Amino acid sequence: MKHFAVLITLLRDRKKFLTEIRQNVKVERKITSLLIASSAFFAVYGAIIGASSSWQQVISSAIKLPALYLITLLICLPTLYFFDILFGSKLTFSQYAALILTTVSVISVLLFSFAPVTLFFLISIHEYNFFLLFNVAIFTITGLVGVKMFYEGMRSVTATEDRLQLVNADLTSAPIGDFLPSDAISKAVSRSADGDLDDGLQKTRTRLLQLWLVLYAMVGCQLGWTLRPFFGAPNETFNLFRSLEGNFYGQVWRSLLTLLGVQ
Amino acid sequence: MQPDLEDLRITPRELENLTGLDISDTFMGRVYRPSLFHHRSRLLSFVLTEILTFGLILIFCLPISLVLARGIGHLSGDASSTFWFLVTTLGLSVAIALCWNAFMWYKGKSLKVLAHLLDEVDQHNEIIQAVDIIDQLGSVRNSTVELIDRPDVLNALNATRETLLCGLMTEKILRKNKRLIARRYELFANIETNIARLQYLQVNSQANEYGQLFNEALRIGRSVQREMERLNTD
Repeated sequence: MKHFAVLITLLRDRKKFLTEIRQNVKVERKITSLLIASSAFFAVYGAIIGASSSWQQVISSAIKLPALYLITLLICLPTLYFFDILFGSKLTFSQYAALILTTVSVISVLLFSFAPVTLFFLISIHEYNFFLLFNVAIFTITGLVGVKMFYEGMRSVTATEDRLQLVNADLTSAPIGDFLPSDAISKAVSRSADGDLDDGLQKTRTRLLQLWLVLYAMVGCQLGWTLRPFFGAPNETFNLFRSLEGNFYGQVWRSLLTLLGVQ
Repeated sequence: MQPDLEDLRITPRELENLTGLDISDTFMGRVYRPSLFHHRSRLLSFVLTEILTFGLILIFCLPISLVLARGIGHLSGDASSTFWFLVTTLGLSVAIALCWNAFMWYKGKSLKVLAHLLDEVDQHNEIIQAVDIIDQLGSVRNSTVELIDRPDVLNALNATRETLLCGLMTEKILRKNKRLIARRYELFANIETNIARLQYLQVNSQANEYGQLFNEALRIGRSVQREMERLNTD
């Protein structure tokens, strides 16, 4: 299917894909395809983790897991967009959406690749706390890998964008009527060769990106906690949701202690 | 495919450049092509797209409604309130999906001409494919299949291709300038006023030009007279 073909193009040549997004080539179609493909992969993994409980949990988790990642993205995207354009970015909102969706899609593919392993553990081990922690570890690993790729991707896109802007500025500031504006050209060439950029602005945007990633993680964890249950506790009837108490970190700690036999 | 035949194809990239829209089997821009209801494979693609879109809408609607409903306090946790919540969310998703389809139908009304042109392009490409098959059959040794008057067929296909390209370009220009064209009567009134102004300016400039020429002739005449007087006194 065409949507998965776009995802495979992303996986095969990420650099070219990011360059196309930066050049605003078919960004809408990329967004649609990545949304559909990543939702499908998340839904499959969600169905597997829901299968540890009842069939209602399978359907519930298959809807909740894609929602978790995509709604977190939706909540955090305006922050990234407005702060970045404040600090000089020339990308559009759709381009930012496409860039973040590439990360989410990569995470979905990584989760999907863990699906057989999770299925194996689901069938062979009937220990709820182990399954919970195992999945937390998988989500952490895939999240870290995806975030690292996003970070590298964003930095390369914004650095190229800044460099191009400065090169254009140099060339347009050359005096009109000069047959050989050699000064301007040599300045532009040295900028693009050495990467001699406006370091202050680049550092600010990098710091902004790092803070935004922390925000994304916090919103994601809280939304995950609000939308629970994803796994469905054993010997309990199906619940669409549980009451709002405690937090994500406390639960992980309690599960770890239970598994180690301390609690 | 032989190179002269390959050049006659209208490629998807050319279509995108000419129309300014993302063209595929089922979509032109963001709108469904009406011809997809006549082909089974495209119909399947349409059904799949509808299901996927509904799935996406559900994925967004359900958890957001869940968070909002719990925040407001309408969800108490017992079976009946959960059931009503699910029914409401499902209804909301269906409503959003119907709105989306209605929006696409409304947008599609202005693209009827383009849809027809795109179907013609598809037929043109199919004919080229058929000619290619005959070429391949003809290249087999001892084959009796032969395309009679291949140059004539290629000329006809070339003419069709040029016509289609012109049609697509014209359609794009008309589509992009729809609002201006709708105001054509106003434009004609403006043009009439501007022509009158131009004629007045032209008359003025002609008068000025005549004046300048006259002055120039007078100056030349005076300088000639001065020279003649000078020669006479010498």
